[in-house]
Amino acid sequence: MSGAGRIGAGALAAAAAGPAIAALVPPGVLLSLLVQACIYAILALSVGVLARQNGMVSFGHAAMFGAGAYLAGIGLGAPGQLPAEVALLLAVLAVTAVCFGLGLIVVRVHGIAFAMLTLALGQACFEAANKARGVTGGADGLTVALPREIFGLPAATFQRAEGMFLIAWLAMVALAALAALLARSRFGLLTEAIRENEERARFLGYGTVLPRAAVFALSGGIAAAGGVLYVLYNGFVSPETVHWSVSGSALIMALLGGTRTAWGPLAGAAVYFLLREQLVEVTERWLGLLGILLVLVMVFLPDGLSGLPRRLRRPRGAEA
Amino acid sequence: MTIQILNGLVYGSLLLVLAAGLALIYGLRRVVNFAHGAFYMLGAYAGYAAAQAGGFWAGLAASAVVLALFGAVLDRLVFRVLQDRDPLVTVIVTFGLLLVIEDAVQWIWGTEGRSMDAPAPLAGSVALGGDAFPVYRLAVIAMAAALTAALLAWLHRSRAGLFVRAASLDPAITAVQGVNTDAVAMLVTALGAALAGMSGVIAAPFLSLSPAMGGQILVDCFVVVVVGGLGSLGGAALAALLLGQVQVLGAVLVPDIAALIPFLTMAAVLLWRPTGLAGKRL
Repeated sequence: MSGAGRIGAGALAAAAAGPAIAALVPPGVLLSLLVQACIYAILALSVGVLARQNGMVSFGHAAMFGAGAYLAGIGLGAPGQLPAEVALLLAVLAVTAVCFGLGLIVVRVHGIAFAMLTLALGQACFEAANKARGVTGGADGLTVALPREIFGLPAATFQRAEGMFLIAWLAMVALAALAALLARSRFGLLTEAIRENEERARFLGYGTVLPRAAVFALSGGIAAAGGVLYVLYNGFVSPETVHWSVSGSALIMALLGGTRTAWGPLAGAAVYFLLREQLVEVTERWLGLLGILLVLVMVFLPDGLSGLPRRLRRPRGAEA
Repeated sequence: MTIQILNGLVYGSLLLVLAAGLALIYGLRRVVNFAHGAFYMLGAYAGYAAAQAGGFWAGLAASAVVLALFGAVLDRLVFRVLQDRDPLVTVIVTFGLLLVIEDAVQWIWGTEGRSMDAPAPLAGSVALGGDAFPVYRLAVIAMAAALTAALLAWLHRSRAGLFVRAASLDPAITAVQGVNTDAVAMLVTALGAALAGMSGVIAAPFLSLSPAMGGQILVDCFVVVVVGGLGSLGGAALAALLLGQVQVLGAVLVPDIAALIPFLTMAAVLLWRPTGLAGKRL
């Protein structure tokens, strides 16, 4: 089977697994946890796409996630002007467009400096969300009332775990498949070449800023899509959603799972949420334990958990 | 207005001591320590605990010792082991460490804020141009100036300081000259952590203690080292004092966008002058 075929088959199988999981898990705490996991998995995926294609580590992706949520919330809150469907799509498109413009500038910054820059820009968005009371509701947050129907589905479907789980799951699978297809396309290979050696890619005659900015925009768009789902499900968004600890969590998920595959960040999000759920039962110290796990994974499994199968098949030296 | 400028100077002095540690560690290990804010917070709590028994100065000393040991262990077990890996791996590891330290402090001291008293002789306030100004804040400026002067004297007058400056310029050549650069780096990481711990104790009497106190100041600290130029002490000092003024004067003159100014300045510096005011390219 060709690579694209394998991705398609994997995506179809994963999509089919959604209803099965929904049928097996009784509605309740666990299912709503899975909904949150799917939504944050989309954010982790966006961080992973940027790390994989551009080799850039972002500490500020909560800004795009939050911007998607706020824009969707504001669009839905202005009734009579825009159909809800258009408002949601516009939120994602607007964040993507802004990220493209921003990307043209920020992708010139590399390595650790980029990590620090995203942290600062992310905190700037957090401060802005706090200050702009007229638009965002400030620290109190923005409560969003959904219209009666969106995409032909009753609003209650989006706000109940049984309905939202399927929607978030399918969105997550579709976006991950998109990321995987992109990675093996000509464009994806070009960005990987630039990631490995930007100067050599320029020697070969490729512009390097535009493709990197496009990846940044795509990553921002995926994060915004996650934010849109977030506000649909919760009906509420506050500056806490934009805080850098959210960016940090998304980064942990992406790196725990590993960014070499599209499904790595998704697996990372699942591990993060399920582990946290288990740990909270036993101890309040889950965040510290997650920190220790992150350190161990970074030191001993730089490709994350999704790199584990490959590593087991081809052990490197005696330590593996 | 004098009071505002002084307040800016107080915060700038605090940032100066903290950012000096961050710049030193970057200079030797090429690691941007995301746990530096957590060191500051841990130092404040360690000082708080020691101050309960022996007063403020005992707290300051204890915090320096505890954090220096912590830094030395960190350098030996993490930075040295990971020095040949992608610097981003080490950055993520320090981020993981940040989570562990914050959680450990919450475990030991709980999440509610705590306050620490200024040492008795510095507890009152003085009249400055008709307004009362806490003596302790003037002492903060003095302590920061003393620490900075001691650090500069050590770097430029002592043999160990010479090794530090040489190793941060070119570790390989310095090692070839017979300097044990790993030992130098360990010393510097311990010193950087001790400075972070001491700035935590210095901050404790006028900013309250909480496990989250490291997060905000870490971001300000990044702004300082990036604007000043990573690895440059002089640049960091200038940027710290400037940022202190910008924050205080911004809050008075343009309250709506004051909080954004530091971040926008940092972004602008990174994009237009990536070396900072005085520093090396990342």
